[in-house]
Amino acid sequence: MKKLAILALTGALASTLVGAEMRSWTDSQGRKVNAEMVGVQDGKILLKLETGKTVPFPIANLSPADQEFLRGNAPLDTATAAKQIDDLVLNKLKTSYAEIRKNWEAAKVGSKSKEELEFLVKMTWPTERTTDEQFLRRIYLDVAGRIPTYAETTAFLNSRDANKRARLIDQLLESDAFTSNFFNFLSDLFRIREGISMNDSRGLKVGAYADWMKDQIRANRPWDEWVRDLLTAQGFYWDNPATGYMLTDQGMPLCNLSNNFTVFAGTEITCAQCHDHPFEEVFQMDFFKMAAFFGGTNLRSGGNTPEAKAAVDALRGYEAKWKEENAKADRVPRFPQDLQDILRAYQYSVADGKEGKVQLPHDYKYDDAKPSEWVSPSTYFGSEVDLEKYENPRQAFATWLTAKDHPRFTINIVNRLWKQCFGLGQIEPVYNIPGHLDGQAQNVELVKYLEQLMKDLNYDLKGFLRVIYNTETYQREANHHSPTMAQIDQGEYHFPSPVLRRMSAEQMWDSLVSLSTETPEMMSNRMLEAYRDYMHTDWSTVAYEDLIKKKRDEFRALGSVTGGGSDMMMMGGGGGGRRVDDLLVRASERRLPEGVNHMMYAFGQSDKLIIENANRVGSVPQVMFLLNGDLTNRTMVRPDIYVTKNAKAAKSQAEGSTVVYLSILNRKPNTAELMEAKKLVTKNPTTGEEDYSDLIWALLNSREFMFVQ
Amino acid sequence: MKDQLRNLDPLSRREFAANTARSALGLSLMSGLDTAMAQSGKGGKAKHLIYFYMGGGMTHIDSFDPKPDAATEIKGPIGSIGTNVPGIQLGAYFEKLAKRADKLAIVNSMTQQTGDHDGGRYWMLTGYKKVATIVHPEMAAWKQRFHGPNTVSDIPTSFIIGGGVLPGAGFFGPSYSPLPLGDPSRGLPNAVSPVDQDRATKRTGSLETFNKAFESKFSTTEVKAYTEYYDNTLSFLRSKDLEVFDLTKVPDAKRQSFGMDRMGQGALLATRLIQKGVGAIRIDGGGCDNHEDIETAFQNPARTLDTSLSALIDELEAIGKLDETLIVVGTEFGRTPIVNVNAGRDHFPRVFSAVLAGGGIKGGQKYGKSDAKGYSVEENPVRPEDLNATIATALGIPLDKVIYAPSGRPFLVAGHVADPKDPNNVLPEGKPIASFFA
Repeated sequence: MKKLAILALTGALASTLVGAEMRSWTDSQGRKVNAEMVGVQDGKILLKLETGKTVPFPIANLSPADQEFLRGNAPLDTATAAKQIDDLVLNKLKTSYAEIRKNWEAAKVGSKSKEELEFLVKMTWPTERTTDEQFLRRIYLDVAGRIPTYAETTAFLNSRDANKRARLIDQLLESDAFTSNFFNFLSDLFRIREGISMNDSRGLKVGAYADWMKDQIRANRPWDEWVRDLLTAQGFYWDNPATGYMLTDQGMPLCNLSNNFTVFAGTEITCAQCHDHPFEEVFQMDFFKMAAFFGGTNLRSGGNTPEAKAAVDALRGYEAKWKEENAKADRVPRFPQDLQDILRAYQYSVADGKEGKVQLPHDYKYDDAKPSEWVSPSTYFGSEVDLEKYENPRQAFATWLTAKDHPRFTINIVNRLWKQCFGLGQIEPVYNIPGHLDGQAQNVELVKYLEQLMKDLNYDLKGFLRVIYNTETYQREANHHSPTMAQIDQGEYHFPSPVLRRMSAEQMWDSLVSLSTETPEMMSNRMLEAYRDYMHTDWSTVAYEDLIKKKRDEFRALGSVTGGGSDMMMMGGGGGGRRVDDLLVRASERRLPEGVNHMMYAFGQSDKLIIENANRVGSVPQVMFLLNGDLTNRTMVRPDIYVTKNAKAAKSQAEGSTVVYLSILNRKPNTAELMEAKKLVTKNPTTGEEDYSDLIWALLNSREFMFVQ
Repeated sequence: MKDQLRNLDPLSRREFAANTARSALGLSLMSGLDTAMAQSGKGGKAKHLIYFYMGGGMTHIDSFDPKPDAATEIKGPIGSIGTNVPGIQLGAYFEKLAKRADKLAIVNSMTQQTGDHDGGRYWMLTGYKKVATIVHPEMAAWKQRFHGPNTVSDIPTSFIIGGGVLPGAGFFGPSYSPLPLGDPSRGLPNAVSPVDQDRATKRTGSLETFNKAFESKFSTTEVKAYTEYYDNTLSFLRSKDLEVFDLTKVPDAKRQSFGMDRMGQGALLATRLIQKGVGAIRIDGGGCDNHEDIETAFQNPARTLDTSLSALIDELEAIGKLDETLIVVGTEFGRTPIVNVNAGRDHFPRVFSAVLAGGGIKGGQKYGKSDAKGYSVEENPVRPEDLNATIATALGIPLDKVIYAPSGRPFLVAGHVADPKDPNNVLPEGKPIASFFA
């Protein structure tokens, strides 16, 4: 009973304590005590002594062996871990500062000018802690993928809860918005796109894969398990949408191997596909031995299953009938495209043979094997693999890759998540982690700590992000300067603060969504189950007439991302049939990726053809979009749009302008800004209503809107 | 050997990054090369590229490789006509081009290996086969990489009119992306302010005021870049340059002569854009996937190309730009020589045709040959990488200058093969058609 009370009191949030048993604890001076661990808080372990009394004891003062014991056994105390990260960052900044000062004062300027050194010194100073307004906006964009709505903004800013930042982080991590936002990250990483495969197999509806991915995010699947699912998934795509990952590279197995390394191990080995890697220890033979793990995998084994055979036979029967019915004297029309797509989809099923083998290229030129020789799976770094232990070689590969002792697997995900939070990886580029981190990572000690933290957390991604977001390092205002290429390159940006980032294309879009409605998380209909049922149709029982009309329509409807509805208002002027409530649908629920006429295309949404292909680079068309486009000139200023409604409900022009500011920039305007706003807000002479459209236009075009402090 | 390379590890990785940085900043010093090549009489005369892409796979037998003497099922229902060059025949729909065949350099021996539209198209436009680990740049981006951005006006450096934006800039990144333009008759999207002048000035003024505090606090490269983009765009939108997009300013008769469809008006716009320093324009047309009734189905795409290409040649000649503008007609594959049961023709990558004109290329000639049935290449096969090598040569882009993608992989403008002597080097794959530059 008492243990529960203490836990509740301390807020050290762990439901089970692995180390919660009486054991002997030793401190750094060799003194021992028998006690039961009941919690961890603020860098201290709470020990319940035999007397029943609970005392806090600094973890740092425990013996190394006991500190080691705590790893993995102690519940994670977010605040403690966050503090550790902050300390590691500050230590690095201090050392770096001292070094630069030393060089400066000793006039050992070397190749660097005084100005450069001054700049470098400046870049070792941590920025100020974010204001509540800055924090609010950033944490929403980073976790929820959008700016907060007006209601969310005022609620947070008015709250007097001393712990409100930590609470908001928890709340957002558990929200649908996080699912949507994290999906955008994965969709860029995994190239989740319409048609799934690069070769565009239209019968495979991406919605099922997307639904499955979102389910994993919601369930907070441990990353290692999740990756194993992706790498080993078998069966029909609609029965197991995780097969979507392998099907993406359908027809390109060697590219698939390269991509697996890039995405999951932050390692670029594509070079070795054609020749020994010129600069890394990867031989062409290594590449093919790794590729051999997938050599027994057949992505088009659908035709081997009785179910698919029956479906194909039935559909082929209808195709014959179609041709017969539509035959004119000189011409036979083709079976409708949707039906051909369905037919083709049945061939996609993933299966494995017991053995994996691949053939070396016909022009293989090294002397360790002959051209076109077959090679068997084996690993070229990390631990060796005993294939006998696994059902198939792909299983072996997945286990090897995701093992805790794999040298790159954990660092890769840690580095990628760090980049999501700070705008820059600890190691850049994130797809090419070098063998030795010294002089490459921005903070080697920190990377090692983060790697261990992720392992201790058993790949709980949300738990990891929670720690990062609770650090002071994260909660500092964005850097006022850009780190230089040289700094990034030589591992000299030690994160005095996050980097100032432009919003991603998805964040921009989703922010417009949260300006347009008070419920921005409206998700589109799930299609996974409907699609699965559809593909299990017993085609032999479907009437021919139903197939040609009804079933085709059903199939097409499965692909509509923005959902259906009755009272859609058409947008005026050049909208080309876009619907008003298109705006209410978040990026993650839309076409993957959007087409060239969409705002997200202009703002650098990934085309999902290659890994991490999104960009945040400016362009003239972007500016034209915001200056003169429909979104900023028509849609966002409509009277029924959330931001306008709220502004108009205000008692005065000044209050209305404040509402607009709180909605778009998530802060109140200062006096000068209010004065300026007054120039833009006009009163309609007949209705007496204020018109805020020019103010909304101006703030949407402002640098402050686009950049994340 | 391996040990030496291993020692290089961190450094060379950095070198790649530095290379990328330099290329992003446009600091490459290649500009002297094109003039050198032009002087040597081996291409390099073309300063602009206008690429007609005939999507769907244009039938070779009914366009630039007719077989008047073949059997009826091969010759097809369309037939052929003579031209102003003895010995050159064109498909019967190309009546206008027939009078300008002396300007055309026709390749009848194009060949590649994939019958899928996307794969073939990708290969044609980039000179590389499609893979899942990288996107290769198309010629417009290579050209910008070597010749730099448009310095004549604020108009973007390259455009894609009416079609697919891929492959676009590929690994060169967004600053090399051609600007997509859906319908050339509708002008540049979002170029006109929807509010009146006074209101526009007022709100832009306030925008600047609102920006001040933020800009002075966050003086990052990215914020400055956006402020610059706004300044440039606003001045661009006020400038006279914008008028080139307004095709209503063109006399009606001239507009009509290009054809009022997207391809024709795109070609007309292209003649205006190159005068404003635009380097490359791809005009995407479709409608060539004629599986059925080729006689009817091919008529529209053929006549559209016939009209717009003819008008383009005339106009460029009239303004004295034909010699410095390379025109290309490309497609992903040809179509089956034997007309199918539906009176159409199916995909046929084994042999097809392409056309070049202007840009210092000698017209009135044919290169390569398909056999009597149009069934396979009989003489001088030209792969997409060879065509790209020819285009690059005309534009003065060096075929052997290795460019590294951000991931460190080496690429060349017209494809590459491994260097048998040096495993760390690559050699150009595509070979230019030398006789075109005679």
